[in-house]
Amino acid sequence: MTFLRQSAAVAGKDLRIEVRGRYALGAVLPFAATLLVAFGLSLGPDRVLLQRTAPGLLWLAVLFAAVLASRRAYESESEDGALEGLLLAPVDKAAVYLGKAAAVAAQLLVLEVIVMTLVSALFSLSLGGNLPALAAAFVLGTTGLAGVGALFGALDASARAREAVFPLLVLPLATPVLVAGVKATAIATSGTGGTLGSWIGLLVAFDLMILAAGTLVYGYLLED
Amino acid sequence: MLAAGRPATQPPTDPPAVSLAGVTRVFGVVPALVRVDLSVERGEILLVSGPNGAGKSTLLRVVATAISPTYGCGSVLGLDLLRDRDQVRRRVELVGHRTRLYEDLTAQENLRFACDMHGLGRSGVPTALERVGLVDVAGERVRTFSQGMRQRLAVARALLRSPELLLLDEPYAGLDAEARHIVDDAVRSMRSEGRTVMLATHDVAGPDLATRTVAMESGRIAGSGSFPERILS
Repeated sequence: MTFLRQSAAVAGKDLRIEVRGRYALGAVLPFAATLLVAFGLSLGPDRVLLQRTAPGLLWLAVLFAAVLASRRAYESESEDGALEGLLLAPVDKAAVYLGKAAAVAAQLLVLEVIVMTLVSALFSLSLGGNLPALAAAFVLGTTGLAGVGALFGALDASARAREAVFPLLVLPLATPVLVAGVKATAIATSGTGGTLGSWIGLLVAFDLMILAAGTLVYGYLLED
Repeated sequence: MLAAGRPATQPPTDPPAVSLAGVTRVFGVVPALVRVDLSVERGEILLVSGPNGAGKSTLLRVVATAISPTYGCGSVLGLDLLRDRDQVRRRVELVGHRTRLYEDLTAQENLRFACDMHGLGRSGVPTALERVGLVDVAGERVRTFSQGMRQRLAVARALLRSPELLLLDEPYAGLDAEARHIVDDAVRSMRSEGRTVMLATHDVAGPDLATRTVAMESGRIAGSGSFPERILS
């Protein structure tokens, strides 16, 4: 079986579990909706202020979703010791890592579409300013967050204090994605050129770094 | 044809299925295995007995390469436990007391995923389900299964691969009489094919299938003998 087919099998399995349980979707959507409505109400009717804060709120919701989806991707592995099954399977562990990252990314992209629609409605945020750039920012940012989550989720799954360890590992590393994502989104929705290329470039560099690191070290994280 | 005076070549002997020398495994500061020396010949059905906490599961997990020895060395099917881990994993199957199944996948989907992960075709899935009597619930989620049904499904997953060495860790836990027969049949099938089985159980009334027994206590091998001699008695 080829590397890509192994990755697809892992991703397909994780997505099937998520579709059946709707764990991440069920937890994140109410949170995101509450966050956006609460901030919308507290910021008042100042349209400019709403539009300026919308990208930050949007990415906060995405970050929270990434943490939850990554945790969930490994909860199903630790329910009955299934992670050991993946360890003992004679597959390239990098394929398992990329499959898990792809599944988390797919879930996040679905969530982002819903959350963006909400933000657009509540905050009068124009999504059509520079749509290709906006899409690129979200796809790249999502890839980076999924890469971090899928990597450290494996470590977290074997940690005794997993509840506390995972955010401690993921949130600092996700900061560059958060900053670049917010900046790129703000520029793309305002329709101005600005330094968009730099922020997109940062996201590309981050993705390459985290995916390369993940494929190299993931097997060692799983091993005893 | 052999040249005159040249000794006849001895047929090559297969290395033992398992060979451990001085294997110690420590979790934190707690030793789970202490200087274990063990040799299991090919085709043997070895019963590893002993009370809870004797180190049986740790022994099987070391042999399966799920965990590494802290000290000592060993080989499985002639392959080094540490250096050749990937090759060992291709030829060995561990059925633990944790069944390693996905609760939100159906029985059939669990086996199909196992096929994908082991590079096997999926055509053997219906037969494997039939062998363990789970055909009727093939499309139901594992979440709805009893412990016995899960254990049977884990055995079905092991049978998909026809491993050279099958490691069964407490395979009778929570099983009814019918399910115990299924496990026994799987062991008999392995035996008839000349494959090796290591079966760990704390049940002193364990199976009469074993060709040899090894008793463990406090992480050490306390004794061994040929079946039907019952060491624990």
